[in-house]
Amino acid sequence: MFPFTLIKSFIRVSVLQNIAYRANFWIDLLNSLLNLVVSITAIFILFQQITELNGWDLSATLGLVGVYLIVSALRGLFIGPSLEALVGLGQEVWSGNFDFTLLRPINTQFFVTFRIWRMNALLDLFLGMLVIAFAITRSASPVPFWDWLLFGITLIASVLTLYALLLAFSSLVFWSPGFLFTWVFNALFQLARYPVNIYPPALRILLTWIIPVGLITTIPAMALSGTAAMNTVLIAVLVAILMFFAASWLFQKGIRKYNSVSS
Amino acid sequence: MNEKIIDVQNLSKTYRVPQRDPGIKAALNQFVSAKFQDVVAVNHVSFEVTAGEIVALIGPNGAGKTTTLKVLTGLLQPTGGSIMVAGHTPGKREHAFLRVISMVLGNKSQMLWDIPALDTFHVLGEIYQIEKIEVKQRIEELSLMLEMEDILKKPVRNLSLGERMKCELVASLLHRPQVLFLDEPTLGLDISIQNRLRSFIIQYNQRYQATIMLTSHYMADIERLCSRVLLIHHGELIYDGALNKLSEQLSNSKLIRVTVSEPLADIDAKEWSSFGAEILEQNHQNFTLRVEKTQAPACTAMLLNRYVVVDLVVENPPLEAVIDRIYQEGAV
Amino acid sequence: MNHRGGFALIKSTWLSWLQYRSFFFVLAFGWMIPPLVAMFVWLAASGQDGIQGIHRSEFVAYYLVLILVNQITYSQANWTLGDVIREGLLNNWLLRPISPVYQVLSSEFAGKFVYLVFTVPLTILLGLVLRPKIDISFLQLSFFLLSLILAWGLRFVWGYWLALLAFWFTRADALLALQDSLVFIFSGMIAPVSLLPGFLQDIATFLPFRYMVGFPVEIFTNQLTLAEIGLGLLIQSIWLIIALILCSWLWKNGLRRYSAIGG
Repeated sequence: MFPFTLIKSFIRVSVLQNIAYRANFWIDLLNSLLNLVVSITAIFILFQQITELNGWDLSATLGLVGVYLIVSALRGLFIGPSLEALVGLGQEVWSGNFDFTLLRPINTQFFVTFRIWRMNALLDLFLGMLVIAFAITRSASPVPFWDWLLFGITLIASVLTLYALLLAFSSLVFWSPGFLFTWVFNALFQLARYPVNIYPPALRILLTWIIPVGLITTIPAMALSGTAAMNTVLIAVLVAILMFFAASWLFQKGIRKYNSVSS
Repeated sequence: MNEKIIDVQNLSKTYRVPQRDPGIKAALNQFVSAKFQDVVAVNHVSFEVTAGEIVALIGPNGAGKTTTLKVLTGLLQPTGGSIMVAGHTPGKREHAFLRVISMVLGNKSQMLWDIPALDTFHVLGEIYQIEKIEVKQRIEELSLMLEMEDILKKPVRNLSLGERMKCELVASLLHRPQVLFLDEPTLGLDISIQNRLRSFIIQYNQRYQATIMLTSHYMADIERLCSRVLLIHHGELIYDGALNKLSEQLSNSKLIRVTVSEPLADIDAKEWSSFGAEILEQNHQNFTLRVEKTQAPACTAMLLNRYVVVDLVVENPPLEAVIDRIYQEGAV
Repeated sequence: MNHRGGFALIKSTWLSWLQYRSFFFVLAFGWMIPPLVAMFVWLAASGQDGIQGIHRSEFVAYYLVLILVNQITYSQANWTLGDVIREGLLNNWLLRPISPVYQVLSSEFAGKFVYLVFTVPLTILLGLVLRPKIDISFLQLSFFLLSLILAWGLRFVWGYWLALLAFWFTRADALLALQDSLVFIFSGMIAPVSLLPGFLQDIATFLPFRYMVGFPVEIFTNQLTLAEIGLGLLIQSIWLIIALILCSWLWKNGLRRYSAIGG
């Protein structure tokens, strides 16, 4: 199974590099904990003043925070680090090292997606799951199996959508090398920390249909609290698949652009 | 094996470069009506390379060498012409094609920085789907040829430039490519390492019949390694052939080195300029004249007449000087 | 004190940073988003009735002003001073006949200028769309400006002493992460300090963070009585003095250690 042995090799090398670069487990742990504490504190401060936020009670909102942490963790596990090497600070596309990437006899999109891993993100994943567990116990109503299933499906759709969005933003670099499009995306992604329906209508439409950052955390959280209708779930899956193909197409176009002008 | 491994016919590459005047007004104008300029980087270049050759691609900066190399490796799409490398069209970037070529870029590194070179080699082994045992054997063989066994386990960032270049070479040869492209491989290296690398390239070429195409600004590289030279200038191929004939063919001058029996007072330049001769240097009993090719015999006769000549040699200008003049004057 | 040299340095740093403005705009954009998200959350939470007397248009005013104040006071000393020390480049500065403070100040003004070129128009635009309630007397405006200058001074000097720790510690990540979290919670970003739950509010009144961002904003948005303003200015000044003392002490000792080690 070539893709899997290749990924194994990428993980191995990433771990070695992390150790060599003196990446500190304890500092990463601290960062993860601080991130968690700040996110939860914000929710608690809010819910001292209100009991529900546009229909979301404390448990549901905490559930959404958990989803945000899980999705961010999966992004931080390999999607984020890999694409940052391509188009982040010190980017390959700018330095020209992308040439080497293009010379490898493997699918370029696969390569730039899976090549760098940050295993410490598993910490954030664990913390996110803790938050969800906490949210569920606090809501005092167990989550039926069907809702777990929907949660799983929408979570996968969310990660796929996140990947597609990040890939699309990254691809823009081929037309404007040096500009940090992924940092712009990072800023926009902050908006996913809260349910999308708290935003004013215009912004809500932007975050649902144009740059579906809102869908990424809101829909799985809805599934978890049993408020996700079937067609919502279907839309989430459809959007994820559509965005994946659109982003992949944009990426290929970007490579063709690089192939026609890099000197 | 006289098969053609590289066949380039009428390769052209034109870039459309946005034309922009400085200033804010012009920048805004750019959105309304963008102006472009066509820059011809490569202009109808044709050549063929047979398997196992070591060929040099030389020319001044901006002549189109790197563009040509990038087209041959599929990194750049040509604007016109047909290209065949190892039986494939590079522009299609098929995996089968990418498996049989390789590239070393003198000023860029494909090594992972913080970890030992061995780890990069292992990942490359996975990427090129080479059996683990094979990878091990090839690393051993190549590092033996390059005398670098002791640096394999050091983090790449701790290596000297020369040691790193050895790693780049190993990395590029692990999958035994049929064609190896070297873009300024000896850039910035000290003489002993340069020699080491040149010996290695010759050795490798003899052992595996790999076709090698290299660009370099070091004449020593070209002279030692390449039987054949492609000279590109202003995007055009102005010479394709043996190195030792280049000077003869491209230059229309000859150098006459004269040694006379008695020290001379200053030679009168005007006296010789009627032959179109230029005095290049003058030192006690020796002097050198540059003469237009056709005037050389007549000039030689004059010299033999005029002076008591101890030694006289008529030769082609040194390669470097010829190429230098071409680079500078743009003409031949 | 070499003022002439200092001003020349500031001007030239300005001009060179303008070249990289797209990078700085991306940064400024990123810093605007958390306050905006908080604003939308409180807008959704306050509904028609407001929260503890703060109504929608007042939340808008609070956060838009906070965005500006935050940008004006934001500390970059970790990069402009801390990294310089860590990378051993301090010698370049020490050899010049200008106090190193000028170097840091020139980056400070250059940066602020470029960031504000981005942030101010955007904030005004948001103001036109969101209609903040702004009702301020001349006296309040004067107090606001005074506290703003002190806030800038405090955050600058605070960042300066933290950056000086680079003389002893090769990495600042943990401290920075902690500092960012504390600022986020206690400076009035997550919520205006008056909306923090009891014990957090008490802590916030004594920690310096509120006085770096939130305090001037509270003056501007009419949340404080004259007495509270007076007390706040006092606490602000005390923290400023503490920070100055820390800077002076750390600089002397740090420099001694730096030259002992050989830079």
